[in-house]
Amino acid sequence: MTLLDERRGGTHPAASGTPAPPAGLAAWARDLGMGLRFAAGGGREGWIRTLLTAVGVALGVVLLLGAASVPQLLQGRDVRGQARQIAADMPVKQSSSSLVAAEADSEFRGTRITGTLVRPDGPDAPAPPGVTALPRPGEMVVSPALKDLLASPDGALLRERLPYRITGTIADTGLVGPNELTYYAGSATLTTETEQGGHRIGSFGIDVGEATPSAILVVLIILACVVLLMPVALFIATAVRFGGELRDRRLAALRLIGADVHMTRRTAAGEALFGSLCGLLLGGLLFLVGRQFTGLVTLWDINAFPSDMTPSPALTVLIALAVPAAAVAVTLVALRGVTIEPLGVVRHATARRRRLWWRIPVPLIGLAMLLLSNRVDEGDAQVNPTVVAGGAVLVLSGITLLLPWTVEAVVARFKGGPVPWQLATRRLQLSSGTAARAVGGITVAVAGAIALQLFFSAVQSDFTSHTGQDSRRAQMSATLPSHDMSTIRKMLKEFRDTRGVRSTIGVIEASVTRPGPLRKGEEFAPSTTLTVGDCASLQELLHTGPCKDGDTFIVTDHTGTADDDYILETARPGASVLFHADPQSGKPVGKPRLWTIPKETRKVRARMDPSGSLAFGIFATPGAVDTSRFHEPTARAMLKVDPSVPDAAEHIRNTAARLDPLMQIITLHHTTRDQQFTSIRTGLLVGSTVTMALIAASMLVSTLEQLRERRRLLSVLVAFGTRRATLAWSVLWQTAVPVLLGLVLAVAGGVALGGGLLRMAGKSTFDWSAIWPLPLAGAGLVLLVTLLSLPPLWRMMRPDGLRSE
Amino acid sequence: MTPAGSLLEAVALHKVYGTTPALDGADFSLHAGEVVAVMGPSGSGKSTLLHVLAGIVRPDSGTVRYGDRELTALNDTARSALRRTDFGFVFQFGQLVPELTCVENVALPLRLNGVRRKEAERQARDWLERLEVEDIRGQRPGEVSGGQGQRVAVARALATRPRVLFADEPTGALDSLNGERVMTLLTDAARDTSAAVVLITHEARVAAHSDREIIVRDGIAREAVGAA
Repeated sequence: MTLLDERRGGTHPAASGTPAPPAGLAAWARDLGMGLRFAAGGGREGWIRTLLTAVGVALGVVLLLGAASVPQLLQGRDVRGQARQIAADMPVKQSSSSLVAAEADSEFRGTRITGTLVRPDGPDAPAPPGVTALPRPGEMVVSPALKDLLASPDGALLRERLPYRITGTIADTGLVGPNELTYYAGSATLTTETEQGGHRIGSFGIDVGEATPSAILVVLIILACVVLLMPVALFIATAVRFGGELRDRRLAALRLIGADVHMTRRTAAGEALFGSLCGLLLGGLLFLVGRQFTGLVTLWDINAFPSDMTPSPALTVLIALAVPAAAVAVTLVALRGVTIEPLGVVRHATARRRRLWWRIPVPLIGLAMLLLSNRVDEGDAQVNPTVVAGGAVLVLSGITLLLPWTVEAVVARFKGGPVPWQLATRRLQLSSGTAARAVGGITVAVAGAIALQLFFSAVQSDFTSHTGQDSRRAQMSATLPSHDMSTIRKMLKEFRDTRGVRSTIGVIEASVTRPGPLRKGEEFAPSTTLTVGDCASLQELLHTGPCKDGDTFIVTDHTGTADDDYILETARPGASVLFHADPQSGKPVGKPRLWTIPKETRKVRARMDPSGSLAFGIFATPGAVDTSRFHEPTARAMLKVDPSVPDAAEHIRNTAARLDPLMQIITLHHTTRDQQFTSIRTGLLVGSTVTMALIAASMLVSTLEQLRERRRLLSVLVAFGTRRATLAWSVLWQTAVPVLLGLVLAVAGGVALGGGLLRMAGKSTFDWSAIWPLPLAGAGLVLLVTLLSLPPLWRMMRPDGLRSE
Repeated sequence: MTPAGSLLEAVALHKVYGTTPALDGADFSLHAGEVVAVMGPSGSGKSTLLHVLAGIVRPDSGTVRYGDRELTALNDTARSALRRTDFGFVFQFGQLVPELTCVENVALPLRLNGVRRKEAERQARDWLERLEVEDIRGQRPGEVSGGQGQRVAVARALATRPRVLFADEPTGALDSLNGERVMTLLTDAARDTSAAVVLITHEARVAAHSDREIIVRDGIAREAVGAA
């Protein structure tokens, strides 16, 4: 039965026995179905429109599915990371099924290398996840990425550090991500007594459970989700309206054969439904195909296996239902402003000025929700996610609601001007809604980013701690894993001779004890540290004043961590100290090894060394004491690196690994950041990049779609001699005006939202400098999109468009 | 040079779209102030002939001369400039810029030629008055009837006082009464300004407004039998 037949049935009451036209849900089903049929069988134009909508929706769906995969992505990485950890706090007895393992992590040109040395106690020792058999001494199993790196010319320096023979590859189950650099190397000498920490374990893996983030971090996570996903929702809402003008003409034909306004709206919704369903399918396919390549992409050190990109089932169902529902709802709302009449005439409903009164309260209510919610700066503060998310959504939604009103109100005041300006402003006056929709995504993204940036700037001090390290005086530091004086000297020399090391601050430390029996009230013999280094090294630790070889110094503790009385019991000029004594009794172990502190020893003040430590006790230059008499000395080396030498840090790490594969080399930093805070910031950067790319794609598609609808008009304008530059400028102004207004709103809304969040976090810091890069980035994006749309504009300005005229 | 008295002269025009020949050796000539109707069935190549004559589309072979200039040898910029200054266009559906008011639409070609806005709109108002649609000057094309819109389109085409007016089915979307009125106004105004008219139509009553008729069939243009 055709629509006309159905209408005939309804308009001829005399035709008794003819079934009444369907109503309610049945009418909905009929009209939506008809829209689906129109979209599917609408010929080339219909398919182009469907394709545009489908591509737009598909891009949004890919991002939504990506977001829905984040929980699985994080969990998968955590589970695999924990499954290979060494449980240092749960030692097991030596058996045929135990092994000794030690972490031997390193870094290569800024990328972390996860390394583990292993020595099985017996044939049944378990292998770590992803490894079939433990490597033997001199051998290693590596991740595929590390294997590739070692085989490449770029990996030549790293091969020096990992001189083991590769005997196997770690499977995916043993890796956090596909591009991870990981190895397990066999050792013949590793013991639990190893200075740098060998641990006997019965199996790999620990369960650390989930860390509970602080309330401020929860706010950040919620805000990040809202800020990243709202533009996606807006984009999908825009995509389902692609090709609306052509569709309206088709619907006018329906009106001609008797369809009423409600039927045409439902039919239009059916067309949008078809596009959105195609988009859903296409998005699903793109996601499935795209996730196979996730391993090829590393964003801010994060890469994922395809299996990690598995959306949560509940969220997938939600996306599958919400996207088509949104398509229907958006179409019905959009058509409220359009009167589709018969005779092919489509006139926009009587221009009704947009009202401000109902738009203003939306962001204000959102702001009020944030301002009235709990402060989260107290230690045990709880966050109500609904209030935070709801408040942020309302503020950002308010901006999108205010944008069309603002554009309409401002462009209404534009009169005159050059031809391109006039064409642009008249177009905006006629249809400001289209322009506002096109820039809605970027406005929300910029507003959200401003709010987040303000919040980040204000709270980052809470998550940043000063290490006390001074990277200007030394850039790397190592604790030498030896108690043997000659080895220590050799190690210090090796570092000094390493390419890229400008100078070395090297000190040898040993414990010294006051000789003689315990005195009344003493529970153990007073002892302190004797530190030996040349004058240059000691001057990095002490305010020595004039210093020459043979000098000695004394420093009492300024930190309160040691008992100054105990230090003064040993560190007294002219007093003797024992190099090796029983700490309980103070009696010498073996033949007493005594050293007398020179009488002329000066008392000086300590200074923070480059690694952030404040030393105390006795200090001596090499000429003042025979270090070969020390008992179990340790040594520290702090290295000044020559920045002009390429890969200086890698040469230093190679030296360290050659001396001892377990030696830890620390790069000195002035500050350190909380890991969770850093993770969220990294996640936000990854998300923002993807969202911005989507917004750029959406704006481009939207611009092209508008140009396509005006193709014939463009051809006519060209036919009567309009310069291309005139039309190009017109397109630029048409984009630039709403973008400028959108960015002004974005700054205002972002500052308001950021202010509300700062108040919630109890912060008064307001970093204005954090704001300006974001609108500039948004404007840059728009400029890029406009430039990209110029070649198609050029092509559409060919007179071919007149052929159908 | 064009033959004596010819303003526009086309010789042996060929144009193929894909594998479909639109023009297959068409010849054409137009004298100053002359109204020539080009008739023929749908798909015969009428509109392609108009586009080639107006320098909108380049022929695959053949020449078009306008005065002492060979149109087919001019680059796009020069042909665009010629269309702005010497030619005017009317299309079947008017193709007015929907966001501009009627007076702004008529003033647009003048402004593209560098006329200042106030002066352009003053001249545009005169043209609207001449075509009897002065009362709708402040309205947008979507708010006026098809006949009114087409008169605005004629005013826009004549506003620059072109030497040649190309009209492609100018009354194709109008009822007979409105079509007749538009044609009368168009030809009268063209004659008043000494503009020659190339009129594409498949309606005999529209062609009756012309001085001469050309029939296009299978891409070849021939003088109509019995034509003046």
